[in-house]
Amino acid sequence: MSTQIATFHTHFGAIRFHKLCKSLGDPAVMMPVPRALSASCGTCVRFTAPFDPASMSHEDLDSVYAVEGDGYRLLFRNEEE
Amino acid sequence: MVKWKESGLIILAGLIVGAAAIVLVLLGNPANMGFCIACFLRDIAGGVKLHTAPIVQYVRPEIAGLVLGALIMALAGKEFSVRGGSSPMARFVLGFCVMVGALMFLGCPLRMVIRLGGGDGNALLGLVGFAIGIFVGTLFLRAGFSLKKSTPQPMVEGFLMPAVAVGLLVLLVGAPTLLAFSESGPGSMHAPILAALVAGLVVGALAQKTRLCMVGGIRDALLFRDFHLLSGFVAIFVAVLVGNLILGSFHPGFAGQPVAHTDGVWNLLGMVLVGVGSVLLGGCPLRQLILSGSGNSDSSMAVLGMVVGAAFCHNFGLASSTDGPTAAGKVAVILGLVVVCAIGGLNLNKQK
Repeated sequence: MSTQIATFHTHFGAIRFHKLCKSLGDPAVMMPVPRALSASCGTCVRFTAPFDPASMSHEDLDSVYAVEGDGYRLLFRNEEE
Repeated sequence: MVKWKESGLIILAGLIVGAAAIVLVLLGNPANMGFCIACFLRDIAGGVKLHTAPIVQYVRPEIAGLVLGALIMALAGKEFSVRGGSSPMARFVLGFCVMVGALMFLGCPLRMVIRLGGGDGNALLGLVGFAIGIFVGTLFLRAGFSLKKSTPQPMVEGFLMPAVAVGLLVLLVGAPTLLAFSESGPGSMHAPILAALVAGLVVGALAQKTRLCMVGGIRDALLFRDFHLLSGFVAIFVAVLVGNLILGSFHPGFAGQPVAHTDGVWNLLGMVLVGVGSVLLGGCPLRQLILSGSGNSDSSMAVLGMVVGAAFCHNFGLASSTDGPTAAGKVAVILGLVVVCAIGGLNLNKQK
């Protein structure tokens, strides 16, 4: 299973996503968002469950990245108006 | 590898911030006040006559430098992102309350670290209060606190705070007769304009690049056992301490410390208020300034709240002096704690 990182617009958004992952049996962890992904100092969630936008996305979700070595590959971006 | 590179950068940034603080004092800033976001915003409020306390009036170029340094670094890194609209009024009020707490203690969290590096024992009480406040703030975060997400804003929104910074510099250099200048006290003590501006630009750029934040360090340590941001905090302390030791200006003790008072309870409670308010805002006063230069108009609202808060503190005798806190200031800190906890409690979201 590949490691992914989800970033959020709010800390609360991270809490919600973390709980969702846990309910799916995923050993997800909350942590400070890596500098390479954001200039903000928010909270991200590292998880391994396959990301399904339809069931896992919510309004506070920003983006989801695949962790590849020392880098990240964008998997999903929550569109804003 | 990436982790070590990032840690090295924030430690280097912290050391440079500490060194810049020492140099600014050598060049004329008040002792243990090379940088202080609260004091400098307060001085600017006085400089543009929002208050008339005669000893704290000066348009500090460091503040403009911090905002513009962050702007330049954000633009260079393609990270200038214009967003806002996340509970702007709550952010204004939180900024106001953070300033009430900071002027009770006589310094923002950055100056607290700088005071510690100068041997000021009163700042230890401030640090304890600050940590307690951050702990309380993290309880709100864990319970579902949110000011709701920000949304993309028109480009002009993000450039207004940097424009204000430029405007203040233009007034300072081009039309100083319009401004108020202290003739005595801390407001009369300042480094040359160019040196102050350059120091602000460098620190602003580094703080944007590294996300340096006094509140974030302790918050992340409490929430995630992550000590990355805290390493920047410690680096500032080390640089200031070493600088003061070299220059013979390390004076350990409680009494007679520069621009400080010895009332431990109120030093502590003032910084509790700063800690809680800053966690709810998402960063310390320095961080709010940096974000306001990076396109974040929510942080600009917090900065404006701090400026207006500073004006109220001096117009209504809420700010402490070297003689100690005032009765009105104590009432204001208690009210401030009630207000920030109310904002925290009323913005809790149910966790699904």
